[in-house]
Amino acid sequence: MKLFRQPLKTQKQPMLKYIISILFLLCFFNGWAQDEPIDLNPQDTIVRKQTYGLRVGVDLSRLIISQTSEGYSGLEFVGDYRLKQKLYLAGELGNEKKTRQEDLYNFTTSGSYLKLGIDYNTYENWYGMNNSIFIGGRYAISSFSQTLNNFQYFDTNRYWNPDSFTNGSSEAVEFDGLTASWLEFVFGLKAELFTNLYLGGSVRIGFLVNNKEAEEFPNLFIPGFNKVTDESKFGIGYNYSLTYLIPLYKKGPKKNKGEIENEQ
Amino acid sequence: MNKIKIAFIILIGIIFFSACEKDDICVDGDTPLLVIRFYDVTDSTEFKDVSSLEVRGLISPDTLDVISNVASDSIMIPLRGDASNTSFVLSQQLTTDDPVNIDVLTFSHETKEVFISRACGFVANYENLTASLDTDTDNWIKNIEVISSTVENSETAHVKIYH
Repeated sequence: MKLFRQPLKTQKQPMLKYIISILFLLCFFNGWAQDEPIDLNPQDTIVRKQTYGLRVGVDLSRLIISQTSEGYSGLEFVGDYRLKQKLYLAGELGNEKKTRQEDLYNFTTSGSYLKLGIDYNTYENWYGMNNSIFIGGRYAISSFSQTLNNFQYFDTNRYWNPDSFTNGSSEAVEFDGLTASWLEFVFGLKAELFTNLYLGGSVRIGFLVNNKEAEEFPNLFIPGFNKVTDESKFGIGYNYSLTYLIPLYKKGPKKNKGEIENEQ
Repeated sequence: MNKIKIAFIILIGIIFFSACEKDDICVDGDTPLLVIRFYDVTDSTEFKDVSSLEVRGLISPDTLDVISNVASDSIMIPLRGDASNTSFVLSQQLTTDDPVNIDVLTFSHETKEVFISRACGFVANYENLTASLDTDTDNWIKNIEVISSTVENSETAHVKIYH
């Protein structure tokens, strides 16, 4: 009993002491709270991280045309590596063999090419979406050979050969050691079909920078560049890519200057 | 649904691009004709008409159709790209009462292909041109002179014939 009575007896005095102390403390807090502005637009503090990685795949159009067209076989590997939020290092590596029958001659072009450059994504994705509408540039090189399989002489005079054109040599002549380089402007899109699997397409306008050709027979087709038109340095190409993203790491978007200043 | 749409657009694109066709027409060049001019044998600077000139191609033993001609002091004739020599039968008839005098002329040449353009392809040019005349009892052609042994165009004479 003694144990209980003791504190009861002395309860009132310390109680007042506490109340006064707490009042002082609260006053202090009160003053503090008034210094802090009320944030009416609270910032979202969750960092939305995005996947960075290497995207590799093949061009579907070259695969399909190889199957359906008799005079063509080709394969193109495509790939890109995400450098920044919107910037990708991109490239294509391919091999093409194309035989073409023109009116009076038949030739085969065969060779490999490499294109390297960048893609810039102009599409603003919602969080979780990974589609892109991009523009890009490439520097491309190709090494190839061209074979003249057969030809006929073009002649408007029909005297010796009323019904057809005179046959020239039917022996195939190969011109090898041919090279070309060109700049390419790319416009394309990529859509994520399933997680990490993308279907894309691109249109390319090439501008020939360098074209080493045989004196007797100019380059009429360049692997990767496509058809070479008389007296023109421009060429048009396209591809349809199926690519798979190998995720390497995740990174949030870089905060812009304004946001950093706000935090300070 | 959106993904199906994108796939559909891509498919349309494949069809669109695979439908491209060439529309090139050859206007840049042609296989040249051999130009022969006829000169007076007595005055080698003067052109001389050949009366009732007729030139026919000859693939022995067949003689082909007459090669049409506009002037009688010159003629443009085609050479054969698939052979190393081309023979012609040149006939002269001084008056309607005279007999037709036939001379056989053979050109030997090397054929060289020259690429013109994508649309034209190759034309034939001729090199190392030489001419020989079959001698008979009464040749109306007295002398032949090859002044240009390469035939690359039909603008100037390649061969002079004196009669």
